Amino acid sequence: MTERVPIMRMGDNLIVMLQGDLEDGTVEQIEREVTREVARTQARGALIDVSGLSVVDSFVARIISRIVAMIRLLGSDATIVGIQPAVALTLVELGVPLKHVATALSAEQGMARLQGRRREPAR
Amino acid sequence: MITEQAEQLLELTTPVVKLWEGVVAVPLIGTLDSARTQVVMEKLLQTLVDTGSEHAIIDITGVPAVDTEVAQHLLKTVEAARLMGAVSVLSGVRPETAQAIVHLGIDLGSLRSRSNLKEALQLALSIVGATTVAVSGD
Amino acid sequence: MSLPAEETQVVPIAAEADLLRVRSALRAEAQDAGLSLTAATKLVTAGSELARNIFRYATHGQGVATIERAEHNGRRGVRATFKDTGPGIANLDEAMRDGFSTAGSLGLGLPGSRRLVDEFSIDSHVGSGTTVMIMQWGR
Repeated sequence: MTERVPIMRMGDNLIVMLQGDLEDGTVEQIEREVTREVARTQARGALIDVSGLSVVDSFVARIISRIVAMIRLLGSDATIVGIQPAVALTLVELGVPLKHVATALSAEQGMARLQGRRREPAR
Repeated sequence: MITEQAEQLLELTTPVVKLWEGVVAVPLIGTLDSARTQVVMEKLLQTLVDTGSEHAIIDITGVPAVDTEVAQHLLKTVEAARLMGAVSVLSGVRPETAQAIVHLGIDLGSLRSRSNLKEALQLALSIVGATTVAVSGD
Repeated sequence: MSLPAEETQVVPIAAEADLLRVRSALRAEAQDAGLSLTAATKLVTAGSELARNIFRYATHGQGVATIERAEHNGRRGVRATFKDTGPGIANLDEAMRDGFSTAGSLGLGLPGSRRLVDEFSIDSHVGSGTTVMIMQWGR
C-alpha cells in the first residue's frame, strides 16, 4: 500500500497522482513507491497526473523527469497528464527539461495513447 | 501594455476555431505586439484544454511581417502546447515569410509548417494518434 | 472568499515548510493585484525558485522574503524581495548566465526566474549575502 503517493491501477496501466508539495524528505519515498508498484504490477504504462501539484518549479520538474526515467528503466511507458496552460508556459520560460517526455491532455487521452502504442508493430 | 478592458475585448474577439474533431485553429492578424500576442496564445492553449483537442493550427496569413519577437512567442506557445499534450502546425507561410524566417536565422525546430490552412489541416489529420478514432455520442 | 492580501507580508525562510507560505503570500498578492493566471503562476514559480535557493544554500537557510503590493501609473503589481545572509555569489555573471541554471543540483535557477518576471534585480556580495528583487505587473 502506498502512503505518499496515490497509485491506481487500470488494466495494464497505473495512474500515479503527484500532489501538493514535493519536499526533499518525501521525494525518495515517492520514487520508491512508484518503482515498486510498477515492478510489482508489471505495468505496461504509467500515467503521471501532475494537475494536483501546487507548483511546478525546476525542482519539481526535475523530480518528474527522474520518476519518468525510473519507470522507463523498468520497461514501462510513461505519459504525463495535467499540465495546464499557465504551468506549461511557465515551464517553457524556465527552460526546464521534460522535452522527451510523452504528454497528454487528459487521463482518457493518455490512456488511449498508452494503449495505442502497444498496437504498433515492434521496432 | 493594454488595459483590462482591452484585454477582455481581445479575449472575446479572438477567434479560436474548431476546424475538426480534435483540431483547433487560431488566425493571427495584423501587426502583433507582445501583450496582444500573449493573450491570443493563452486563449489558444486554454481552448486546447477545454476541447481536448490534440492539434493546434496557428495561421499567420494575416501577419505582414514575422519578426524575431513574434517567432519567439510562437515557438514558446508551440512548446507549451506540446507539454500539455498537443501538436502544432504553422500555416499561412507565404514566400516572403519563408524568406524572412530563414534570413532572421529563426529555427522553428520540429514545428511543421504549410503555406495554407487546408494543407495544415490535412497534415494535422494525418498525424496518427489513438484519439483520431472517432468517438460517438458527446 | 479570502480576505484581501495585506500590504506587506514578511516570511522568514528557515525551513522547507516556509516555501509554502511564500507561495501562498505571492498567490494572494497576485490575485489582489489582478494578475492574469499565467502571470501569477510565473510569479509564484519564480518566488518558489528564489525561496528554495535561500533554504538550500544560505547559511543555516536563513533568509526572509518580503512580499508587497506595488502600484505605478494606475497599474497594480506585486514586488517580492528575497534576502539572505548566506555566503553570497562569487561570480554573479556566471550565475546569471544560462546553462548555470540547470547545472544539476548546483543550479540557482536565476536566469530562469528572471525570465518569468517583468522586473528582476540582484545584489550579492561574498561574505554578506544576496538580495533578489522581482516584480510582476498586471496587464
